[in-house]
Amino acid sequence: MTDLFRLVGTGGVIAYRALFNWTTPAMFVGTLLVGPLFQLLFFAYLGRQLGVADDRFYIVGNAVLAASLACVFGGTMAVSNERRFGTLGHVLLSPRSRTAIFLGRALPYAGNGLLIAVTTLGAAAFLLGLRIPGSALPALLLTLAVAALSCGFFGLALGALGLRFRDVWLVSNVSVALLLLLTGVNVPAAELPAGMRLAGQFLPITHAAEAARRLAAGDGLSAAAAPLVAEAAVGLAYAVLAAALLKLFEAESRRHASLDTL
Amino acid sequence: MIAVGALLHAKQLSRSPFEIATALIVPVVQATLAVYLFRAGGEPGRMLEAAVGAGLMGVWSSVLFGSGGAIQNQRWLGTLEMIMLAPRPPALVILPITLATALTGTYAMAATLLWGRLLYGIPLDFADPVAFAVAVPGCVVGLGMFGLLLASTFVLLRNANALTNTLEYPIWLVSGMLVPITVLPGWTGPIAAVLPTTWGARAVREAATGSGAVWPSLGVCLAISIGCLAAGALMMTYVERRARAAATLALA
Repeated sequence: MTDLFRLVGTGGVIAYRALFNWTTPAMFVGTLLVGPLFQLLFFAYLGRQLGVADDRFYIVGNAVLAASLACVFGGTMAVSNERRFGTLGHVLLSPRSRTAIFLGRALPYAGNGLLIAVTTLGAAAFLLGLRIPGSALPALLLTLAVAALSCGFFGLALGALGLRFRDVWLVSNVSVALLLLLTGVNVPAAELPAGMRLAGQFLPITHAAEAARRLAAGDGLSAAAAPLVAEAAVGLAYAVLAAALLKLFEAESRRHASLDTL
Repeated sequence: MIAVGALLHAKQLSRSPFEIATALIVPVVQATLAVYLFRAGGEPGRMLEAAVGAGLMGVWSSVLFGSGGAIQNQRWLGTLEMIMLAPRPPALVILPITLATALTGTYAMAATLLWGRLLYGIPLDFADPVAFAVAVPGCVVGLGMFGLLLASTFVLLRNANALTNTLEYPIWLVSGMLVPITVLPGWTGPIAAVLPTTWGARAVREAATGSGAVWPSLGVCLAISIGCLAAGALMMTYVERRARAAATLALA
């Protein structure tokens, strides 16, 4: 069991340092801290001008969404950069469980996502003057953590496609854009067509944003419990999907000897 | 030379499935988001503005990421030394690349307008179609020249990618591409006033909606862009000489 934790924990951290493109301080701050903050401000001012919703709606929603950037691209990098750096074959040759190796990689990205979400929420609340009840903070932190973990597994599921397709960055870019649209973070879910609303139910962030908004409004954990559980279930589903896709594509690439030729 | 170079690079960029799909799909998603936001805000009369705004955002993204990485991409392709050996000023060799990124950015504009028309029935009733047909290429040329300044500046910065990733939303916001600059804090006004993106976006929006005189805005956009072109050319010459003297042209 200790070995498994070492494989998942230490292995995940080493892979994070080696494969995440944004680990230098300038890249981290510029891309992961400043970028999401400006995204939040963009939608907050657009929402103010159109009168769609109040500042709380945009600040809390976009702060939860901020976790997705590191997690979605991180998950993609966790698999695709192995191929780019020529080390994918070595990882797949490992006698240890590749499922554990890759699932462990989602954890540092989830931690990263949590840090970004908390920073974005704090900075935006300060800049735009949002007050959040102090009693809501622990549950809000838990919600952001669940959202980040859910996004991490979603990113890993996308990254698994990197074992099969070369242009997986396209999938990541489009996915991040779709999260903006379908999760109800910027357009209230009631304003979206039924199909888009339904798609949003199966994506990370949707339920966490709802839970976080309830908490920020002072409704208490009991009011946020249902969406929080739904977010955890979505995250778990993506973890299973990621594991299944990684196993499937690995077996397929071995069978067709196509690991580095796709 | 500039025209042939821009065409060559535009063709090359258009061969990349990633570039094309990103230029088409992401702006369409943003246009959809804008349409639902404007509908939710009870502004159904501003749908054309939303589609045009989302298209302009796509043009800026293309210029920002394309021009920001123009030198680095040539370095990765192994062609930087060859184009720098050309017996022409370096700015004339790089400008076609940045113009090409702006040109391929117009795919985003075409995609958002077509998407809006076909899916949401947004009528393409431009207030001044002739001015719109001039303002869009004018804005594209202006942004291409601005791109040269970005390309030459970013090559001096070790972490230019961080700046590139950071500059997308602030320029969308401050330039008033979707959010009117009147709702922003007052201190953003002077920043907006010196950006060619602000005036280019304004010219295109005025041509589409008839909310103002197109030509003065387009004129200011091009004037600022020419200033950026001159500054970018000087910077590019400096960067090239420094790289030759230090033998660092091929080094990242």
